[in-house]
Amino acid sequence: MKKSIIISALLTLMVVFSAVAQDGKDKFMVQVDGLGCPFCAYGLEKKFKEFKGIKNVKIDIETGDFSFSYPSEKALTLADVEKQVEKAGYTPITAKVERANGEIEESSASEMTKKSEGTVSKKVMVAGNCAMCEARITKAAESVQGVSAVSWDKDTKIMNVSFDAGLTSLEKIEKEVAVAGHDTKNHQAHTDDYGNLPACCKYERLSYK
Amino acid sequence: MRKSICILIVLVFASACKEKAPVPKEWVLSRTIQLDGVNPIGLTQVNGDIWLSDGDHNRLVKINEKGKITQTIDSLDRPMHIDAVKETIFIPQYGKDVIETVDEKGRFVMQVSDSLDAPAGVSVFDNERAIADFYNNRILYFDGANWISFGKEGKAEGEFYYPTDVQITKDKIWVADAYNNRIQVFDKKGGFLQMMGQNQKMNAATGIFVSENEVFVTDFENNRVLIFDKTGKLLQVLIDQIEKPTDMMIKDEVLYVINYRNGKLNLFDKQPIVIKK
Repeated sequence: MKKSIIISALLTLMVVFSAVAQDGKDKFMVQVDGLGCPFCAYGLEKKFKEFKGIKNVKIDIETGDFSFSYPSEKALTLADVEKQVEKAGYTPITAKVERANGEIEESSASEMTKKSEGTVSKKVMVAGNCAMCEARITKAAESVQGVSAVSWDKDTKIMNVSFDAGLTSLEKIEKEVAVAGHDTKNHQAHTDDYGNLPACCKYERLSYK
Repeated sequence: MRKSICILIVLVFASACKEKAPVPKEWVLSRTIQLDGVNPIGLTQVNGDIWLSDGDHNRLVKINEKGKITQTIDSLDRPMHIDAVKETIFIPQYGKDVIETVDEKGRFVMQVSDSLDAPAGVSVFDNERAIADFYNNRILYFDGANWISFGKEGKAEGEFYYPTDVQITKDKIWVADAYNNRIQVFDKKGGFLQMMGQNQKMNAATGIFVSENEVFVTDFENNRVLIFDKTGKLLQVLIDQIEKPTDMMIKDEVLYVINYRNGKLNLFDKQPIVIKK
């Protein structure tokens, strides 16, 4: 009888220990911008394989939702995760981690970039047609305090902008460009501002979900 | 009377000898096959059988004419745009940075001159090999004796922004420059020759197939397949049943187009253009 009690106790301890071990993982949830195809999703997955011990990787290319679990003792930070997303070629929008001890950390990309010092460079789609559009778009972006360099490619419609993340954000820059009459990926220009553009600059408007 | 008969005979012969003008044709959807649990990214043929890479499920599948899976090659890591020569299938494994070959002798890793970072497409032409090296923004090409590498990240001629597919033809190398939304064409020394599709507002030109007279490109996000002639002139746009297309090929004069998202295989025949009145 005594022996079976000891065995039962040992088994119980093993089950508890196993449960604790399983719980010893942090669960990360990141919303990623720019995921559209399997090449992107697999690419993100591939870059995160560099984090040894990563498990339960799930990527939804429709929503951009990306989640995984990671051993809590490795104390992976949200900033580390954001850097890895950028290394894969994409932009993190929001990030959240549920730590194994129940703590929750949350951050938006703009908050995270603010924490990092120095200049950051971002790419975003801006609609436009021609050299006049290019001049208008770059002028609008450059007018935002903290912006150090801007370029826009009329063929790819991509604006490359470098700015001090402590002084401004991509969102603010996009808003300023939209006020100048140009739809950006996240901000649609007002109809009046679009209407004020010269005929040659009347680009095909972006659609927003 | 006799003279008129002679003239009539001459006219009949003349009209019979006159070369008929070729009837203009276009690709028309003839059939759609719904695949069961397959999210295809690449396709090829071996001995007349169709093989698909199923990236989401880390496998290759052989299907019959009804779309039913008859054979599987598994334990792959994100197989992408595949190709085949004779009975050997070449499989770029995006997650493992290798090109694996599979034939009746077994499975082998192809020797490459340099390390890859997410190979997204492979092409085989006689003894020649080409690889679309996604994260390195370059093409690796083997001419049968030596490897060369060309391309770097950028938007200028000869530069790439995440190339996803490649095809070697007799004297050229064709590249799906996916996120520059265009096709680029090179000679076999890596010299830039031409660009096409850059004005078609494509959004992720992820797959390419080049036939004798046409160039087919998947416009992934816009749910289209664009067909160009070899000079880059747009000939036709396919949209019927096309949803998130990833690759194409022609087999027995039938164009096969695969949809990644809904696992459909669409078959198109070339038919005379019907002029609507």
